Amino acid sequence: MSARRGTIAPRSLDASRIVRGVVLVALIASSLGPLLLLGLWSLSGRWLYPAILPTEYSDESWRALGGGALWPALITSVALAVSAGVVGCAVALPIGRALARLRGWRRHAGAAAAFLPVAAPPLALGTGLQVALLSAGLGGTAAGVLLAHLVPVVGYLSLFFLGTFTLFDARVEAEARTLGATPWQTWRHVLLPMLRGAAGESMALGFLISWSQFALTLVVGGGAVRALPLEVFALVRAGQDRAAAVGALLLVVPPVLGLAALRWAARRTSMMPA
Amino acid sequence: MPALERLRRGSAGDLIWLGAWLLLTGPVLAGIGYAAAASVGAVGPGASSAGIERIERVLAESATWRGLGLTLWVAALATTLATAGAVLVAATFRGAGGLDRVARGLAVLPLPVPHLVAGALGLWVLGQSGGVARILAALGAVRMPAEMPALVYDERGIGLALTMAWKEFAFLVVVATVLLASQARELEAAARTLGAGPLQTFFRITWPILWRGLLPAVIAVFVFVAGSYEAAALLAPSDPLVLPLLMADRAADPDLARRGDAYVISLLLLGIAAVAVAAHEWTRARWEPLDS
Repeated sequence: MSARRGTIAPRSLDASRIVRGVVLVALIASSLGPLLLLGLWSLSGRWLYPAILPTEYSDESWRALGGGALWPALITSVALAVSAGVVGCAVALPIGRALARLRGWRRHAGAAAAFLPVAAPPLALGTGLQVALLSAGLGGTAAGVLLAHLVPVVGYLSLFFLGTFTLFDARVEAEARTLGATPWQTWRHVLLPMLRGAAGESMALGFLISWSQFALTLVVGGGAVRALPLEVFALVRAGQDRAAAVGALLLVVPPVLGLAALRWAARRTSMMPA
Repeated sequence: MPALERLRRGSAGDLIWLGAWLLLTGPVLAGIGYAAAASVGAVGPGASSAGIERIERVLAESATWRGLGLTLWVAALATTLATAGAVLVAATFRGAGGLDRVARGLAVLPLPVPHLVAGALGLWVLGQSGGVARILAALGAVRMPAEMPALVYDERGIGLALTMAWKEFAFLVVVATVLLASQARELEAAARTLGAGPLQTFFRITWPILWRGLLPAVIAVFVFVAGSYEAAALLAPSDPLVLPLLMADRAADPDLARRGDAYVISLLLLGIAAVAVAAHEWTRARWEPLDS
């Protein structure tokens, strides 16, 4: 074994280094390049083909943010995503707990049920929901859009809590009950403090899912609820690249910060490799 | 445990399961039910008398099958590229060192980028006057935008597939990294101790662990790409139309009678999703110790 290592290690080490170097350069270009491109477009004054960089810079698109459609759309999106995160967590937590207690085919059927709203194409899902929400008088309203967002959010978060409760030590709850705690006291003083981290992460996840919803907002909102993705889409289609880049950055920054927070939290709880 | 108590607990468990199941599937099943009713012309735009004429007409159109073909092709290409990239990155940067952590951090950066932004970036990077075309022009490979190969709005959906592969690759990197960190290390060490070389270890240990663990996520990525609307609206060709765009096109048809055709296409899309859900859960049940 050692003889083999002695003969092939240097060559394989060089090859490994070359592969790592090439992959790292590709990662830098593919991950940071697009974000850099958004920044450049948002600050470009004049940027015609074939110039690789803008020939003039301007902060006009950023200054126009306050007076345009992007700012109110941003507020609408924040309100929808925060509500979806909080309500989705409250609904999905007991569902995930119930699913985690099941065994056999019921558990598989439950997990499949949670995955169904996640996998269903948003446009196809939206057309069905639109009819139900219209008949309930919620078509074209923010409340209707929120309910529509909650369908995939609750699906995702139920899967999240299914995983959380599968790893959860249920004996803690049983011990509290053995010591005389009522179901409410067990929830209030034992389970909730233990689940605080997971609940926070699930709210962040729910926020991100709602934040990027486009088709559901379009179909159920009927164009009356102008969330940020709709405005950015309209700007891209209209060829207003600089304003679209500003909107795209507004869409990207909160999820990137959210992901960083989730990875930081996950590292603290050793849920995933650094 | 007395029989009555067992029965009571069993019933409570069934009720909880049924409640959770209904809450999760209710909206989707309602959507499927409405789409099915509208597909036979019982409700919705252009509704007259119920029958299968609408379904027959939509299924007889070449646009439907060409659209389905393009949808499945784009989803398959994007999923294959994303999976290959994720396996490469996860296997190459799996150590605890600073460079490995930086590489993994870079790889997951596209994860929270919305599909809409990914689509816009695809347009600005892959378009005939986009970033790639400008770099090629600086290198002297092309002189004008028309000389740049059309990757956006192309009939093979290459630009859309590349963009979706970039977007979904990050999700698969996360799954592959967790798999390698949690399951592969000890087995690989044992294989090496027994004399296996790096390639043997990869193909006999690492790859089987990766593909079994990745399969549910790969199925999920396939169905996400197939159902994505906003990136397709920015990058996909107008002929043939991928199914989400064909559905939107039919739903806005000036002929009211044809608007109901959108529900037949919606059923096709939901059918793809249902098959994917069944496959996803089957692979999870087969390889994950859910009942342990």
